Amino acid sequence: MILTGPEITAAVRDGRIRITPFTPAQVNPNSYNVRLGPLLLTYTCDIIDAFEPNPTRQVTVGDGGLVLQPGELYLGHTVEEVGSDLYVPLLFGRSSVGRLGLFVEITAPIGDIGFHGQWTLMLTPTRPLRVYAGMKIGQVMFFVSTGARDLYRGKYQGSAGPQPSRYWRDIRPDTVAS
Amino acid sequence: MILTAAAIAAARMSGDITIDPFEPGRLSPNAYDWRLSEQIRVCGGTLDAAAVTRYDEQTIPGSGMILHPRMLYLGVTCERTCSARYAQLLNGCRDVGALGIWVHVSAPLGHTGHAIAWTLEIRVVRPVRVYPGMTFGKLVFLEVHGDRDSYQQPGAKYAATSGIGISRLHEELAPADPGG
Repeated sequence: MILTGPEITAAVRDGRIRITPFTPAQVNPNSYNVRLGPLLLTYTCDIIDAFEPNPTRQVTVGDGGLVLQPGELYLGHTVEEVGSDLYVPLLFGRSSVGRLGLFVEITAPIGDIGFHGQWTLMLTPTRPLRVYAGMKIGQVMFFVSTGARDLYRGKYQGSAGPQPSRYWRDIRPDTVAS
Repeated sequence: MILTAAAIAAARMSGDITIDPFEPGRLSPNAYDWRLSEQIRVCGGTLDAAAVTRYDEQTIPGSGMILHPRMLYLGVTCERTCSARYAQLLNGCRDVGALGIWVHVSAPLGHTGHAIAWTLEIRVVRPVRVYPGMTFGKLVFLEVHGDRDSYQQPGAKYAATSGIGISRLHEELAPADPGG
């Protein structure tokens, strides 16, 4: 089951969901609109290596916005810290943003119960697109879970700002042997 | 919880779900298999979240139309769907995914109260020919938890669109350059 907007608001009020800052006007019938933070990261290496930490460059979206280019991957972040110890959060783009051809996440919309922090956005446009800091870019919805809960304790807990992939931290030595 | 085909059919009979036009044969085990309409808008050039999107409106002929990589196409479903009781998630189907076609750009949710033909944000990996009326994806219905709110509230931007909608995000943003 997916939470309704009024239930999201009630859950924020009683602590079942944490959204900081929380603005009632950003509640939709079944989701909460999140805003684009000002910091973006791009990978500076020619080839991104899944097994290595990859160098990144940080850019700040200024007052006049920033044009995102197709073929580039921008790691952004939500202004809001969003999480719940009870519900499963899913992050998607908004239709207003999808209609501009901008992907907001890549193949991984489902969050973990117990994760709290700013969400990293995986921004990649279809056409060159000017974006602005503070624009409502995505929406988080919440699903009721069933079963005993084991809360997230992973490597992105408490994220602030965009986070590059830390896949490399999970590699077992025997995987890298050759 | 996701509705099964039988539950979708029952909800349609009781008026909790509208699918128009509706063909019983398009119900799959837990979804309704929706179709691509013939209207399509081709968006090239540079886009700006704070400006009105420019596009070229075309009709997909019966002989099909080739979609190209790196272009953004706004299409629309043949069906108008509505539910005040259930939330909806629209996605492509496996057949279309295997052709390298995205049917939306990371925004699959239809809020409760939506009464729309869905605007599709189509992008392709390789050049691919598509045809009007072809089955293009699956629409699932989700039970909701909590008091319901409706998308039909004043000010909701796409509450009752019937054709292709372009982004109206610019209405939320002050233009960076008033002259542009």
